[in-house]
Amino acid sequence: MSEAALSTHGGTVRRRRMDNWRVTPWLYLAPAVLTLAIWIYWPLIDASRLSFYEWNMLPTTPQTYVGWQNYINIFALPKFWQALWNTGIYIIGLLPIAVLIPLAIAIYTHDLPARARNFYRAIIFVPMIIAPVVAAAVWRWLLDPGHGMVNEAITLFGFRPVRFLQDPKIAIWTIIVITGWKLIGFSTLILSAANANINPSLVEAARMDGASKWEIVRDIRLPLLRSTVLFLVLMTILLGAQWSFAYIHVLTGGGPLGATTNIFYILWDFGFSSLSVGWSSAAAVILFLGFGVVAFVLFRLMDRYSFHDN
Amino acid sequence: MNRKTFLTGALALLATGVAYPALGQSIPATVDQPVTISYYNYNLASAGNGAEATKRLIAKFEAANPNIKVKGVGASSADITSRIQADVAAGRIPDVVQMVFSDLEFTVDNLGAAALEQIVPETELKAHFEGISPNGLQLGVLNGKTYGLAYTFSTPVLFYNADLFKAAGLDPDNPPKTWAEVKAAGLAITKKTKAEGIATGIFGPSAGDWLFQGVLRSNNGSLMSPDRKTLAFAEPASVEAVAMLRDLYDSGAYTNLDITAAMEAMASGNVGMYLQTSAIQGFLVKGSQGKFDLRASTMPRFGDKPQRPNNSGSALVILSRDPLKRRAAWELMKFMTSKEAYTVITSEIGYLPLRADIVEDPKYLGNWVKEHPLIQPNLEQLRMLERWESFPGPNYRQIQKTMMEGAEMAVFGGTDPAAAMQAAQKSAQAMMPK
Amino acid sequence: MTIDAAAFAPSIPAISIARPTKRGATGLNKSVGHLVMAVLAIFCLFPVYWMIVTSLRPANEVFDTSLWPTAASLDNYVYALNAIPIIEMLGNTLLVSAVVTVVQLFTGLLAAYAFARWRFPFDKLTYTLIALTWLVPFQVVMIPNYLLVADLGLLDSLAALILPHFAAALAILMLAQAMRSFPREVLEAARMDGAKSWRILWEVIAPNLRGTIASLTILIFISTWNEYFWPLLLSRTPENSVIQIGIQMFMTSEGTQWGPLMAASTMASLPILLLYVGLQRQVIQSFMKSGIR
Repeated sequence: MSEAALSTHGGTVRRRRMDNWRVTPWLYLAPAVLTLAIWIYWPLIDASRLSFYEWNMLPTTPQTYVGWQNYINIFALPKFWQALWNTGIYIIGLLPIAVLIPLAIAIYTHDLPARARNFYRAIIFVPMIIAPVVAAAVWRWLLDPGHGMVNEAITLFGFRPVRFLQDPKIAIWTIIVITGWKLIGFSTLILSAANANINPSLVEAARMDGASKWEIVRDIRLPLLRSTVLFLVLMTILLGAQWSFAYIHVLTGGGPLGATTNIFYILWDFGFSSLSVGWSSAAAVILFLGFGVVAFVLFRLMDRYSFHDN
Repeated sequence: MNRKTFLTGALALLATGVAYPALGQSIPATVDQPVTISYYNYNLASAGNGAEATKRLIAKFEAANPNIKVKGVGASSADITSRIQADVAAGRIPDVVQMVFSDLEFTVDNLGAAALEQIVPETELKAHFEGISPNGLQLGVLNGKTYGLAYTFSTPVLFYNADLFKAAGLDPDNPPKTWAEVKAAGLAITKKTKAEGIATGIFGPSAGDWLFQGVLRSNNGSLMSPDRKTLAFAEPASVEAVAMLRDLYDSGAYTNLDITAAMEAMASGNVGMYLQTSAIQGFLVKGSQGKFDLRASTMPRFGDKPQRPNNSGSALVILSRDPLKRRAAWELMKFMTSKEAYTVITSEIGYLPLRADIVEDPKYLGNWVKEHPLIQPNLEQLRMLERWESFPGPNYRQIQKTMMEGAEMAVFGGTDPAAAMQAAQKSAQAMMPK
Repeated sequence: MTIDAAAFAPSIPAISIARPTKRGATGLNKSVGHLVMAVLAIFCLFPVYWMIVTSLRPANEVFDTSLWPTAASLDNYVYALNAIPIIEMLGNTLLVSAVVTVVQLFTGLLAAYAFARWRFPFDKLTYTLIALTWLVPFQVVMIPNYLLVADLGLLDSLAALILPHFAAALAILMLAQAMRSFPREVLEAARMDGAKSWRILWEVIAPNLRGTIASLTILIFISTWNEYFWPLLLSRTPENSVIQIGIQMFMTSEGTQWGPLMAASTMASLPILLLYVGLQRQVIQSFMKSGIR
């Protein structure tokens, strides 16, 4: 590497320019590009091919071409559409926790003294650095129907224990709250920072003009926070399913009755965990294309509606 | 290793070893040079009794066979097949594996499991099979050949809380024998105590289909046609069994808890009855100690039809290709299915003894069985044990999942049982080999 | 595979702490504000606190629900340490996280430098392709990568945990952004002095990106430490596993061992928590700079 860099300096101007734009940047890029090509792009290409085959990974069994059968199988899964629907619920459920509540908190606590704010900030950020497996274990412990702290407290007030992870009507909301627990501090911080960045003279001017507190929020703060809010919404939609995956995996396995499964988990369950390459490759392609389309649309929307202050 | 068995085996081998040399599949008579074999075991994947006992057995085996080193590899029971499959695909072929029975067929068809009849001299094999329960032995037989020896296996047991029975005005000495009685008892318990009636391990992400198969079969239902081409779990007998569970649930006697929650609820005295593998007995005993009287009965039947339970659990299978490793693997397999190992497996991990003769023998399980009456229904069912069937073809796991999800929707999800099972059967049939 | 959003984050404002407006906040408002924040803080912190408290209860009091342990005991820790090789696992995790951090920073600096310094054919395309890798979920590439690791003979080795992380979009994009805002004049001056590109990178640019590099160090380290699925796929023996795998060994089909599970979880979180206590401000700043990991 260093030799290539050295050579750029030696020769004529012309040669230098050639080397500069032909070789050198690629030498600098090589380690990163090679890594990503080998570990991400090549598998992706391979997966698109294998999604048309039936194969169990074993060198002794042939890869049999089955056309669209793997895709047909996946789309015919009784739970596929339930999982898709649940994915929507996850997103809708996460939006208030990951965006709305943090937004309200950020605006509301704007006036707290700096020291107190720093203190709270340090605490609410803790879930973000806790490992998902640890978080899942701890929540399982807290919510255990028999001995869990939360249910002990509920029965103390004379209610029947709640089956947070066993009741099909409740379980998905439990997973949403746990996922939200991880994120709420983070979102709050991002929004507080954005809120703090708003030029105080704007607010001051509005106040002089006799704007009420709510009017200031509505007409000044919210519009100025728009791009940050949009960003968080986008992240939630794109990654909500990913974030909850670890909790579904450890806590419910998609159950009860598939109530907590989402598109990620069902593809994992039927495709990846059984190592039938055709199924999992088809699932991979579906995931990748699905995400690609959603991301593309969202970024277009964001470009259009995002509004750059300062 | 039981020295006597070993000696007999070795002698038998000396006598017959010469008869097979040309086959090339036969294995050397002894392990006369150091060899390391890998042993994939799901008890090793968790911290606790199972892992400790397994490690101890391995150490004992190594001490008795100084030339053989055993590398234990742990993977949870849900993952172990895919783990083994992945390693075979990667060319790191495991030597001895603990294979869940529902994956046995896949192992034989795809992973190159060795038929014991082909690699072990006949007399030696016979000597080792002596004393093994014929039903247990049959579990590892496929196409007339023995590919696996039942290792940790168990039957469905109806655990019940005798104190709750008393509190509900039921006779704890006379536990329910039929599903109708289960329903009545469950309702009595929910009415008169704060506890739930019955929980089962039939459904849930890690449940597989073994308990469910036993329920279907007990009502003379089946998974598929005898030629294994057409699925049959939506036939009337099977649907009727599913409808029974649905009715049990609708009546309020049956509570829907996931596996962990059900175990813990039973262990802490919050459920009256619990139908589950006997393998969790240790956990329940620990929880009930000093708190309530834990007892066990056989799996409930449908009216007068005899119950037809099938096993859960695993068999040991040899995958190694190399003759010397195969010998070492066979030695390990022999040890792990010996009287001594079975004493540990039964008393410490909580499975069934594959060898019936050690149950009475005070040198082995004799005293333990007397002190632990909970094992009785398990032993009783060993005599009527049927095979845990697996679906054919490369999509067998997805077929199983589809069936279980259909049944779960029918029982807990409010879908009409016949409709749910038919829908599941239809989409699963498309995944069957053509 | 971790997911990050650095490439697409709108300019998230730097974390300048707001000066509290001098007037406006009435006493009542303030105390409601405190109340809201206190509730949120308890919600966020309590599970972690409960994990530590449970881990310190004597074995026979694990199911106790008193808010603090009546008699602290290390029973659960002793049991957990004896049951699985936790110390070795922690060591492995530390090693993997440290190596991944260093290597990712290195490859990231090189790649970012290429984008910042030269214009070359396909540079935009390459940049986009790198950024797009965050759209690829881990599950999608899991099986082919597993086979590749197997072909390399690296199953059940720490090297296999490190290799796919040799480069990551996050590091490249964050460093590229930081370099773009690097004053051109300094670069030009260095070039005039006859410094070669290699030396400019390490002697002029890298030292000036200390802030970004520090943030990345924290981010990469924490996310590698917390990684679960890739090690789960690869680990065969506890001795070659990372700590996240160790934790789930206490959640078994034969019942969950809550006390030891909480002890193992505490031990797994402690290094990160300590790092956080020591470098709280920097940690938060790093996460905010990068988007969500």
